[in-house]
Amino acid sequence: MSGETATDVEATTESRSLFDRIRSSPFLSDLFSNRLAIFGIAIIVVMLAIALYSRFFMSEAALTSSKLSARPTKRFLSPRPAFPFGTDLQARDIFKRVLYGAWYAMKFGTITVGISTFLGVSLGTLAAYYSDLVDNVIMRTMDVLLSFPSLLLALALVAVLPEEWGLWRATLALILVYTPRFARVVRGAALKVLEDEYIEATIAIGAKDPRVLIRHITPNTLAPITVQSTLNFGLAIIDLAALSFLGFGAEPGTPTWGMMLSQGVDKGLLSGFWWWSFFPGLFLALTVLGFNLLGDGMRDALDPRMREAVD
Amino acid sequence: MVSGRFVLKRVLLLVPVLLGVATFVFAMLHLSPGDPARLIAGRRAPESFVQQVRVELGLDRPMYVQYFDFLTDVAQLEFGKSYQVQQGEAVKDILINRFPVTLELAILGQIAGILFGIPLGIISAVKQDSWTDHLTRVGALTGISVPIFWSGPLLIMLFGVYLNWFPTFGRIGTQYDVPWVTNMVILDTAMYLELDAFISAVKHMLLPTLTIGIYSMALISRMMRSSLVEVIRQDYMRTARAKGQGSRITIMKHGLRNAFIPVITVIGIQFGTLLGGAILTETVFTINGIGTLVVEAINSSDYPVVQGTVLLFALLFTLVNLGVDITYSYLDPRIEQ
Repeated sequence: MSGETATDVEATTESRSLFDRIRSSPFLSDLFSNRLAIFGIAIIVVMLAIALYSRFFMSEAALTSSKLSARPTKRFLSPRPAFPFGTDLQARDIFKRVLYGAWYAMKFGTITVGISTFLGVSLGTLAAYYSDLVDNVIMRTMDVLLSFPSLLLALALVAVLPEEWGLWRATLALILVYTPRFARVVRGAALKVLEDEYIEATIAIGAKDPRVLIRHITPNTLAPITVQSTLNFGLAIIDLAALSFLGFGAEPGTPTWGMMLSQGVDKGLLSGFWWWSFFPGLFLALTVLGFNLLGDGMRDALDPRMREAVD
Repeated sequence: MVSGRFVLKRVLLLVPVLLGVATFVFAMLHLSPGDPARLIAGRRAPESFVQQVRVELGLDRPMYVQYFDFLTDVAQLEFGKSYQVQQGEAVKDILINRFPVTLELAILGQIAGILFGIPLGIISAVKQDSWTDHLTRVGALTGISVPIFWSGPLLIMLFGVYLNWFPTFGRIGTQYDVPWVTNMVILDTAMYLELDAFISAVKHMLLPTLTIGIYSMALISRMMRSSLVEVIRQDYMRTARAKGQGSRITIMKHGLRNAFIPVITVIGIQFGTLLGGAILTETVFTINGIGTLVVEAINSSDYPVVQGTVLLFALLFTLVNLGVDITYSYLDPRIEQ
């Protein structure tokens, strides 16, 4: 009898549609009833699709090399059906280059935010769990890193890292700039979790430190981390492009939005070739807006006070 | 009231942080791949010059001696001398010359942000969930999503190239020769009552100010809105309205005073972001401030200049944060506990 009931329950859980699941979670239902957040998700999905499409169906080499010998008369063309976003100094198709830029933004954004989230979660959780010495060493180091205006810290790091590292140089610098932000948020969240009785209970029944940390503390700090990662994803894409714009990103010719903007502003703006920098910037701004809309929606959905206000 | 003890405690806490900052900057030079002497002398400098720099700066001495020397120098704001950008000149002097340029830009942007951001935030909060509110919120979110190195060029394109209303680079027309006292164009031209030069300076600074201002306005209006929305929900607001006070007076008298506290914090904390914004704006509008200096220094691998700038900004940033903390505790005495 009891065995049957258990399978029944399981079966109903299985058959619950995605829609029901969303409705039963206050966080997801809040998030999905927020039209702006949905718009943000839509932008991100489209950009991801563009990124994957360009990565697997377009040739980067063809986009990087100069097209001047192939079509010498086609440089600085304004947008037209054949070239929807126009062409640049080397007669390259800006439309295709902008599409490919989505791949670079998503790839390096993910690497930057992914690694700094991982480091931030590890350091923040350790600092909260092992108070005193470990906490002090970790958090004071984070305080020092947070005492620099972020773009200047990134620039200082770029100055000491080898130029040959290209875009990785900027990525590594930004990881160091972003990690402390995550560590601080995670430590705060973990300290709150540590006050809960179930942690005490887990320790009392003899769970070892790694188990408590990985199985019990980290999962309960995931919500604030996800919000933080989403909001910082937008910032990371802007900062990576900013470093490229200032000349410390990928090698010239690489189809990254920052690089295209830099060249377009430098060589095309005052001559009236507005499309050269306009379209890469538009895509960059749209992507960042997508992450900000989603991040904002997630933050509102997580904040219980906001939920009361909605009820 | 702010107690003297609180301020003293906060000031004393600065010492370890600043020591940490200096140590980090020192470590950055010595732990990075490559030879510090080469980094300082410049990537393309001949070996004999690198050797000369090594001896001159004592980079061949034991690490701890170098470290204490470095700390002593930094404590006196001595950041060494430039090897490339302005050869032989003390980094301190270069910074004194260039910093006001960036500061002026950041201040103008901040003023623009406050002037527009605060009213927008208030309107948005008071008319919560109306169309005005939605429009302002989306506008503000767009404002923080648009990179400065895109909005700046767009403004140049529209108002500089097509409409030709404003100049697209520099801080003032080249024909004006005003004695530079503060090295802030608008202040200097105003002080000497040079009307033509003043107008030229204002025209030059308008687009850069707008570029930073849009970003700052977006941040401030977002904070103003969320802070006021929070305050409007408080019990004392309901009480004030319940005793018959008009809602406009309630918001002005009770709402704003309380809502301003977090906004002031944001205005302070934003200072670091704003400096970053100023760096990018300078490159877009070819203004010779700290931003263009750092970029030039990195490109010609003039490490002492980069190092000095970073140290100066970390110091300023920390001091501004201290100021914000003290202001905050003045406005809300509960903070001290």
